Amino acid sequence: MNKEFLKALLKRIISSLITLFLLISLLFILIRLSPGDPTQKFLSAEFSPELIKKVTADFKLDQPLYEQYINFVVNIFKGDLGISYNYRMPVLSVVWQFLSFTLLFASLSFLIQIIISFYLSIKSIRKKGTAFDKVVSKLSLIVYATPAFVLGVFLIYLFSVQLNLFPSSGSKSLDFDSFSIAGKIGDYFWHLTLPIITLSSAGIAMFYKYLRDNLDETYQQPFILNLRASGYDEKVILKKHVLPNAIRPLISVAGIELGILLGGALITEIIFGLPGMGRLMLNSIFERDYPLVIGCALTAGLIIIISNFIADLIKMKLDKRMIKGLMN
Amino acid sequence: MIRKSLFLLPILLIALLSSCGTKTEHPNRVVIGIPSDVNTFNPLFASSVDEGQVTELLYLSLADFRWNENLGELEAHPMLANSWKWAEDSSSITFYLRDDVMWSDSIPLTTEDVVFSLDVYSDPAVSSRLYGFFEDFYTDEENHIDVKKSFIVQSDYELQINFKPGSTPKLIDVVHPVIPKHIFDKYDRKDIETADANFNPVTNSPFVLKKWDRNQTITLGVNENSFLYNPENINELIFKIIPDYTSRLTQLKKGEIDLMELIATEDIEEVKNSGIVELMTIEGREYDYVAWNNIDPNVYKDGGGITPHKLFGKKEVRIALTHAINRKEILEEYLYNYGELAATPISPIFKTYINSDIEQYNYDPEKARKILAKEGWRDSNNNGVIDKNGIEFEFTLNIPGGNPLRSYASTIVKNNLNAVGISIKVETLEMGTLIDKLNSKSMDAWMAAWYIPIPIELKVFWYSDLQYSPLNFASYQNKKADKIMDELTKNSTMDKKKELYFKFQEILHEDEPITFMYWKSNIVGVNETLRNTGIGPFGAITHCWEWSVEN
Amino acid sequence: MKFQPKIWHLLLFFWITIIIFRFDLLIELVVLWARYFLLFISDFKSAMQLLDFSLIDAILSVKLFIIIPTILFLFRKNNLWLKSSLNFSSLTLVLLLLAFIFAPIITNENPEFQKDLKMTKLLAPLSSVKVLHLNKKENAQKSSLEKFINYKNKIIKPSYNEDIIFVNNVEVKSDHIIYSQKNLQKEINISDVQIKNGIPFVTSKIFILGTDEFGRDIFTRLIYGARISLLVGIGAVVVSLFMGLSFGFIAGFKGGFIDTIFSRLTDLFLAFPIIYFIVLILALFGNSLLSVIIVLGLSGWMGLFKIVKSEVLAEKNKDYILTAGMLGQTNRKILTKEILPVIFVPIVVNIVFQFSNVILAESALSYLGLGTGNSYPSWGAMIESGQRYIMKAWWMISFPGLILIATLFSANDFGKRLNETINPGIQK
Repeated sequence: MNKEFLKALLKRIISSLITLFLLISLLFILIRLSPGDPTQKFLSAEFSPELIKKVTADFKLDQPLYEQYINFVVNIFKGDLGISYNYRMPVLSVVWQFLSFTLLFASLSFLIQIIISFYLSIKSIRKKGTAFDKVVSKLSLIVYATPAFVLGVFLIYLFSVQLNLFPSSGSKSLDFDSFSIAGKIGDYFWHLTLPIITLSSAGIAMFYKYLRDNLDETYQQPFILNLRASGYDEKVILKKHVLPNAIRPLISVAGIELGILLGGALITEIIFGLPGMGRLMLNSIFERDYPLVIGCALTAGLIIIISNFIADLIKMKLDKRMIKGLMN
Repeated sequence: MIRKSLFLLPILLIALLSSCGTKTEHPNRVVIGIPSDVNTFNPLFASSVDEGQVTELLYLSLADFRWNENLGELEAHPMLANSWKWAEDSSSITFYLRDDVMWSDSIPLTTEDVVFSLDVYSDPAVSSRLYGFFEDFYTDEENHIDVKKSFIVQSDYELQINFKPGSTPKLIDVVHPVIPKHIFDKYDRKDIETADANFNPVTNSPFVLKKWDRNQTITLGVNENSFLYNPENINELIFKIIPDYTSRLTQLKKGEIDLMELIATEDIEEVKNSGIVELMTIEGREYDYVAWNNIDPNVYKDGGGITPHKLFGKKEVRIALTHAINRKEILEEYLYNYGELAATPISPIFKTYINSDIEQYNYDPEKARKILAKEGWRDSNNNGVIDKNGIEFEFTLNIPGGNPLRSYASTIVKNNLNAVGISIKVETLEMGTLIDKLNSKSMDAWMAAWYIPIPIELKVFWYSDLQYSPLNFASYQNKKADKIMDELTKNSTMDKKKELYFKFQEILHEDEPITFMYWKSNIVGVNETLRNTGIGPFGAITHCWEWSVEN
Repeated sequence: MKFQPKIWHLLLFFWITIIIFRFDLLIELVVLWARYFLLFISDFKSAMQLLDFSLIDAILSVKLFIIIPTILFLFRKNNLWLKSSLNFSSLTLVLLLLAFIFAPIITNENPEFQKDLKMTKLLAPLSSVKVLHLNKKENAQKSSLEKFINYKNKIIKPSYNEDIIFVNNVEVKSDHIIYSQKNLQKEINISDVQIKNGIPFVTSKIFILGTDEFGRDIFTRLIYGARISLLVGIGAVVVSLFMGLSFGFIAGFKGGFIDTIFSRLTDLFLAFPIIYFIVLILALFGNSLLSVIIVLGLSGWMGLFKIVKSEVLAEKNKDYILTAGMLGQTNRKILTKEILPVIFVPIVVNIVFQFSNVILAESALSYLGLGTGNSYPSWGAMIESGQRYIMKAWWMISFPGLILIATLFSANDFGKRLNETINPGIQK
């Protein structure tokens, strides 16, 4: 069973990679066909028209499209993503700088989402039907319905402008280097509190809803009644039987959510001025920095494939355990 | 239980940190808030305004240009050069450099660096931002300066530069930030662009780059060996990158940053109320306009050349449109009079050249209707829109997105024009798309702004032969104006220039190729503890080594 | 028995309220309708020339309005929907629908109307301004056509109005009138001003929810903004539906390679930050209402695709399908008769959630400056411009923000309830 599953997984990965390649090619063509080009920032009295001609030739933008595409494909397979027009650095270096922040930010948010939604949903299901359950359920729907930019702006206005508790932008203080390790970690947390709340709220609401509904459904199953009749303790039932069942469908959702987060939570980054992938990709599109756009898209796509793969592996492990558990 | 304590931890840390990092620990530090990061510290490649400002703090030039407000003119002062002398016929200039300038790695700066800089600026393999600008020099077919013919190095500190016969060189065309030969010589010319030295600059100014946190902060420290170093002045300059305008403003009001440009007019009250911020304005560098395509885009597109636009081709119509737009209301209601109405592309800061006799086309919808009717535009079919020869006066007005002033103005323009019977649709375009359409001259009308160069440049904006005027998007055509622009490129006396500029403004005002809206003020918020900031038309962040902090 | 408000109660209440507050407007609209009809008979060509969106909008809304009580009466016994009880989400959704259809009646303003900025901008909710009425420049009313046009312009308000001035105070002198606007005083001839009962005709205009930075009435913009949000929502959903259904059927029926490609495409689309594609495409086609609808539709077909495909795959090899095939039924017939009824329910649930996602996305795009442009008011755009004035004019961002949250919440809630009604597995 294990081997078959792995084979199917592998097949999925390969077809995902092929689709990613097709997507990137489409992106490549689209962006070159769209109006505007990387030399548009040189359109001013400060620059000579000779420069525009020169730059166009340097970037090989005057070559026919299919020639550019072939160059591109050859380079991709050599692992060369080219040099960013704006940053004048290899695309991979640029992407890595912003990616490291986004990875940290997204993982943190993801962790918090899981922890809080878990806590809330388990408490909700235990106190099913009480005020707590009803209030949290309704609240989660409202939070889910609040757009990130509304929430973010409101949080900044309240906590940063009026109450002066948190900074309104940036990820570190000016004197960051002079802090101790504990100080540095604390500084990060201080700067990231409002952005994490903004980014995680919708996710917490979503996970909460899924988890609670799943738990609810599982608790309705007849075998629970059986277990209770057999005298098992509530806590054990929860841990060994209900939770594993309820978690399974959550894993795929979680995989997708992680991918979205890692792609760069665009609006949050913009509101809070954070140096992440989302802003990088958006700016590179606006500035027509073609190699960087492709680099970002490729990175984001790969990350999604990887996170889905991990999610599938976890699912597989859980399946095995569940089957073992049932057999006993 | 563990979960509960996890929540407490950050709160504890916040309490700890709230007291750290205050101003008292860094008395001579200044923090400037900017909207976006720079991509390079090399003046060869600095393309944005922010980049230009930062690189010119790191790399000085032979001369320092300051703005003389009374004359409305640029004045050159000694910087890396003590003095310079033009030859009688202006065919060459000799620079006498200071002998005490050191690069931040303690290598002395000599004329070799100056020659190298100009060589590299004009080298096609480098594609610097100044490429193509050296027509006054001896150059090869690829616009590369011929080093042997152009430069005579008399000594380490004396340099003669020879110009092409028949050219009209000016000091400002020759003086550019000097880059270190001993650093960049090691690279292949085409590799300079990606060189590591661009990100770890060796500088010749009183500043050095201490730290660069991408997209967060740029920290500059002082070089105590610089001839401009003054221990009383600031010793640390930090550029803090805050993309969101509201955050920047908040931090300015709280004192977390000391300087911020481009403050919106509606926030002026708030900023004043903070009690710690002083407001200064930089006038007359940018004007907004509504452009009317003077030529027919369809005919032009098909290679048919220049024919008048069927709506905007006649100057009477354009003048009527200017009369129909209530520019004053926008200036008063949105800009709170921070700025002034514009009539021509010459900025009022050029006190000698500005023709104050030019009368504005004031807001007068009645007059607008009369002029339009005289030109044959009447509502013959009673649909509320004026027409002529079967053509309805309707068009699309394009504006770039993300600019609140322009969105505001476009709404007022739309309503104003509707009131005189013109049907107009406003469409927002993304910048890249807009630029594309500007180049192909395919739009009917658009709203944009020009940031004007100092010293005055006209040909590139208004010349009839579109080959020489890549920025003449409205395709303005006037032979008389062309003659004046050609005359102005020659060297002449200030009185002659004044005459020419005055005439030019008259012609442009008569023709009204676009509706000149208003000159906008750049409102700069400066923390009251800063002294000697010298904010002028050149910008807010120019001679930062002269700033000091008063405690 | 406790009084349980039902939907038809709401509709009746709405109908009566509008009659009370907008009676004269309704009469005027009916007259407009009648006059247009006359014009239509007498001068067909001009009538067709005059036909534009605002005219159709006004006449249609008054026609539909009159029909409401008839509908209520006819369907009062049988219709489940009309009889279902009212809760927050259905209240919001029904009100939105009413705003969508009856916008010209609910508010008699043009959403773009602005005048005398100094007096009208950034006013707080429930502020009022005095209005000085001027004498209209009467051109000799010649034909019935011109009469009609004059009347039409009186009723269907354009975005400007030259016959009124917003003032603080009016003072009558011997031969002229002085009016003040904030700290400025201006003069005007008595002959230019409308006189009623010997004094200048001055009314008062109230701005229920305040004004924005252009002096435009926020209440009106919210109502018309509902139209845009709903239009984008429905439009995008239709596009997603069309794509999801077709792709799902093709992939399900043909299977194999095509299926794999589509499935992988779906996976990537699902998690890939769609916003980048959206930005790209909006840059290509420009941001207009149509391109936003298409782009948002393109980003939402994945869920539907999965549902349709799995159903098609499951049913494909079942006996009844094979029999139908053998009996000579075309694929399309099989589709509509056998598959559609089964997947109808999960599709509807999915569409409702899609709808709320699209509204959220549209406002996010407007916030980023990539929305439907500024020819139409949009909640997202109102929030974006409101955030700059958050200290001075909190109402600019609060009202559209609240209404946006309420809409999204109601749509989600509606979907949830629908899901529960249909999937009895989840006990409440």
